[in-house]
Amino acid sequence: MNQHIFIVGNSLQVKSLAESLINKKHPVTIISNNMAFCKELSQIDNLTVVLGQGDKRYVLEDADINKCDIMIAMTDSDSDNLVICLMAKKIFQVKKTISLVSDAKKTAFFHQMGIDSAVCTTSAITTIIEQQAIMDELATMIPIGEGRVRISEVKVSVDSPIANKTLFDIALPAQSIIACILRGQSTIIPRGSTRILADDMLLLVAAVEDEIEAIELITGRNYD
Amino acid sequence: MAKRNTNKLTIIIGCGRLGAELANSISDDNGDVIIIDNDKDSFRRLSFSFGGLATVGDGTDIDLLKASGIEKASTVAAVTDNENVNIMAAMMAKNLFNVKNVILRVNDNSKQELYKDSDIQVICPSELTSRAVKAMIDGGR
Repeated sequence: MNQHIFIVGNSLQVKSLAESLINKKHPVTIISNNMAFCKELSQIDNLTVVLGQGDKRYVLEDADINKCDIMIAMTDSDSDNLVICLMAKKIFQVKKTISLVSDAKKTAFFHQMGIDSAVCTTSAITTIIEQQAIMDELATMIPIGEGRVRISEVKVSVDSPIANKTLFDIALPAQSIIACILRGQSTIIPRGSTRILADDMLLLVAAVEDEIEAIELITGRNYD
Repeated sequence: MAKRNTNKLTIIIGCGRLGAELANSISDDNGDVIIIDNDKDSFRRLSFSFGGLATVGDGTDIDLLKASGIEKASTVAAVTDNENVNIMAAMMAKNLFNVKNVILRVNDNSKQELYKDSDIQVICPSELTSRAVKAMIDGGR
């Protein structure tokens, strides 16, 4: 059964997220206090639009929040987002709450208050850009697990120190693992005896603390 | 010699009329008080003889709160004019920093489920005022 998703916010990201979810056949309701944005949204099929502030009890009630399975708070105010999610959870028993957080220092606090997922946009984006800027052999870094774990694609160049070595012989740091090897059209889930070849694209899963060291080991470059 | 309230730090978040009045009053009683507001002009409301510390900044910034000594504060009063900011600040004070006495200013009781089980003291200025005015009306009957 497709979860009914509520999103509170006025940004373009709210609109694209809604469209993406509608494409996946989720019922979506957007609550926005911006009349112009609401008018724009009303053009979208299969989208319920409510004009009002998402932290007001009567607005949530008018929006039929008892149908809500997932509440996503995406306003530009961390305190508004916190209150919206807490209201959803504590007053209306919404099962899952997700909040944008602009201040990375607050993510742990949001989790402590019972918000299921707190996404810090600023740090996610700057981390990706930072990595893209300093590492040429990297593509697509995804932070997961509250940003404590990262998945990245790292290419094994011809002069990589680990080219032609088996996983057994590669001393990756403790909190990192090569989860998958993309070789031509094949995907290989490696074992200790798997040999890494030049031109392999490795899917590296690593804790933040060990990620750079693992990448340095694979690429043979220093990233200090 | 005037008595000094030692070891009792009050942190006030929000220097509007309520916050400023509170800060002046505590300072007049020789209490230790730090008042935080992100608008430096708001500190004009503090009295000439204000003996506490006025800090410009975001009262929900964890680093700023720590630097202001929230870990040793006996009271935190979240009294800005934004109810949601007050709720967040009060919850931080209680849950992150275990402040014993946390006071939260709200506009009405529509969000009480969020804090009613949390040992946070709530003040609703409009409710207090309306009660006082009603008493005046009833008194004049």
